[in-house]
Amino acid sequence: MQKVKSFQKIVDTLALLKDTSELMLDLAYSSLLLNSTELAKEVLELEDYMDNLHTEFELSVLSSGFKPKESKDFLGLIRLGVVTEKIADAAAEMADVVLRGVEPHRVLTLVIKEAEETVTRLQVSENSPLIGKTLREARIPGKTGMWILVIRRGGKWIRPKPEVMLEVGDVLLASGYTDGEEDLKKLVLGKSPEQQ
Amino acid sequence: MPRLEKIEYKPVSIRDVLTEMKDLSELMIDLAYAAALFNSKELAEDVHELEERVDTLAYLLDMNAMVAARDAEDAESLVAVSAVASAADKISDAAADIAAIVLKDIGVHPLIREAFEKVEEHLARTKIQPVSILVHKKIGELELAARIGVDIIAIRRGINWIIDPEDEETVEAEDVIFVRGAPSGVKAIMGLAGGTIKTFED
Repeated sequence: MQKVKSFQKIVDTLALLKDTSELMLDLAYSSLLLNSTELAKEVLELEDYMDNLHTEFELSVLSSGFKPKESKDFLGLIRLGVVTEKIADAAAEMADVVLRGVEPHRVLTLVIKEAEETVTRLQVSENSPLIGKTLREARIPGKTGMWILVIRRGGKWIRPKPEVMLEVGDVLLASGYTDGEEDLKKLVLGKSPEQQ
Repeated sequence: MPRLEKIEYKPVSIRDVLTEMKDLSELMIDLAYAAALFNSKELAEDVHELEERVDTLAYLLDMNAMVAARDAEDAESLVAVSAVASAADKISDAAADIAAIVLKDIGVHPLIREAFEKVEEHLARTKIQPVSILVHKKIGELELAARIGVDIIAIRRGINWIIDPEDEETVEAEDVIFVRGAPSGVKAIMGLAGGTIKTFED
């Protein structure tokens, strides 16, 4: 029973490491595209968070009480953790470019834009119909074709789990296809066409 | 020791090379995790091959960036291109590290693999049932990315693998598809492939 519990912690932490490293990549490319030092700083903040999470992950693998013959299986896990860390480092290096004030070359923005996907950040206004709804109820991907990457509330990062309830002032970072951006804006800012 | 070939300068579009490096590195991460998650050596070998391609591209990009810089100002702005290319190269190396876990039989504990498969919301594999509406459809016409926010990153058909399938490729019954994307879309594609969902409308 003890073992199942420690397994669950390992699995959850690994999933979080993987998600966070990929989120950092998305944000890093977006920071280059928008030449946004703010987004770039967010990447570096996540890097700190990753470091702690990675240590936590390694400790939970090492303390899971595996048998000698299982050591290979656990080595594989340790290495997966290392890989998420490497990806996070690569994202941080891209963010560095922005923070050093290097004007991103025209080629860079073209390359990043070429992907049809876009990233946008919007703050939930007091008129938004999303307030007080959980993400499950809000059905944002169904309505707009965009999905929430992460929510920033106060100084904290919140992962967009279905049960998270949206509040006024939440900053949403969303990714998706360019067509959906306007629909998402209406939803988050609470402007319907007849109000304008 | 793998035999490394000399890479000679040839003029290429920096934009095209960087686009390919960015796309490949992202595809490789997904393929590599899928290889580890589903314990697939075939996928891992593909990641390994793609890694060599990215290495070659990285050299070509650097050489072309060097030639393109005419003055200090050019150098200052091209260094950003070079830094991003180097980051994409690192990402592809990281993906190759995951592939190595599978190829060198280190593996990931099976119980953890199973549990991870359940919480991993961005990657999935599923079999196309004969009753699925996806059967005989071209990937291009399905427009999965625009409709439900997922991509098919690989198809296993019998013993054959199709990596990063083209728009012209068709989906057939009994194919095993590997997909990545938004969690809601991944759920939808499982239903579409299994035949329990018959339409894209929700």
